Amino acid sequence: MASPMHQFEIQPVLALPTVNIPGLGMIDLSINNSILSMLIAAGVVIVLMTLATARAAVVPGRVQVIGEGVFGYIDDLATSIIGHEGRSFFPFVFTLFLFILTMNFLGLFLMFTATAQLAVTATLAAMTILLVLVVGFVRNGANMYKLFVPAGVPWYMLILVTPIEIISFLLRPVTLALRLFGNMLGGHVALKVFAGFVALAFGGGIGLLGIPVATLSLGGIVALTALEFLVAFLQAFVFAVLTCVYLNDVVNLGHHH
Amino acid sequence: MAAESMSEPAAVTSTAATGSTATAEHSGGGGLPQFRFEYWGGQIAWLLLIFAVLYTLLARVFVPRIRRVLDLRAATISTAVEQAKAVQVQADAQAEAAKADIEKARAQSRALAADAKAKATAELNLRQAAEDARLAGELAEAETRIRTLRDAAMTNVSGIATEIAQSIVERLSGEPASATDLKAAQSAQGAN
Repeated sequence: MASPMHQFEIQPVLALPTVNIPGLGMIDLSINNSILSMLIAAGVVIVLMTLATARAAVVPGRVQVIGEGVFGYIDDLATSIIGHEGRSFFPFVFTLFLFILTMNFLGLFLMFTATAQLAVTATLAAMTILLVLVVGFVRNGANMYKLFVPAGVPWYMLILVTPIEIISFLLRPVTLALRLFGNMLGGHVALKVFAGFVALAFGGGIGLLGIPVATLSLGGIVALTALEFLVAFLQAFVFAVLTCVYLNDVVNLGHHH
Repeated sequence: MAAESMSEPAAVTSTAATGSTATAEHSGGGGLPQFRFEYWGGQIAWLLLIFAVLYTLLARVFVPRIRRVLDLRAATISTAVEQAKAVQVQADAQAEAAKADIEKARAQSRALAADAKAKATAELNLRQAAEDARLAGELAEAETRIRTLRDAAMTNVSGIATEIAQSIVERLSGEPASATDLKAAQSAQGAN
């Protein structure tokens, strides 16, 4: 029985020279299976969007309907959370959503799930929080402290509220990264464990008893796979929603508090 | 380098099967393969590169394309709706005009009918009056004729009466009555 963790192993695919990036040090740019699946995901997104918009017509075709559906879904999300300024952040949220969604789905079809790599989810979370910070400081400048000091709260409550707000803000990138990572990791481990039971049921020396065990496990795999498709969509959606919420906090600072 | 990375998954496989505590003790960056930090640099660098390319493509090419089509569609729909509204208004006006036309024609025809009726009645009355006059004339003529005939008959009757009376008197008395006597008797009869 293969380890359920084996699927997360990084395997080299194409060796490329190690590059010295100034300020970051030596970085091995060899393509491994994680990078390959990211490249495939990006390729799938680009191909689908090209197909959806290549012959963009007022009366849409099939692929165009799908593209416009996803577009409208995230566009509504961004504008409903951030407001009319959501349009300027929409491309970022849309890219995040499409990229994460495609990586999640590809994990269910391919051998490798890039979003089950902490390096990937942490980078995506760091990018999001960095954008939030940059946008926040550019738009609000020194008023950024209002993020931690909600207006209309009495001073004695602020003693309690401000540390909580600061901690919750600092934990945002951590939760953003770990939520996606944990969901993908857990789902795929559970799938592999159930798959292992099927093999174990026949190789474990329990004879005919292996048949009901294997049947149950296979049923579990089918059910879990369906659940994983839901999770794959849901986690991409949650990432997009939280990105919008965090952006809204700094874009509309002082309007909602 | 490659040989090392190939040998490590095998080591993880063997240890993971024995238990999670053994995995935690495995050297080379923790239990989970995700915590092997020697692969982080490459993944992060490639992810940033891929994301930048993807973002640029989406923000510069795909999103504007879809946005343009959506705006175009919204514009098309709104102009079509406006056009339809204008046509509706026009149609309403035309219907109103047609209604007025029909109303006018109806009134005209009604007036025409009344006119014709009045004319016909007048003509009828005129003709009837002429016919009445003609009939009345004929009647009067007939009456005068009847009257002259009756008068003539009446004069004949007195003559006949005289003759009859003369013959009766002659038969009864054997002698002819004088004309004067007869006349007197006749006038006495007439006086009775």
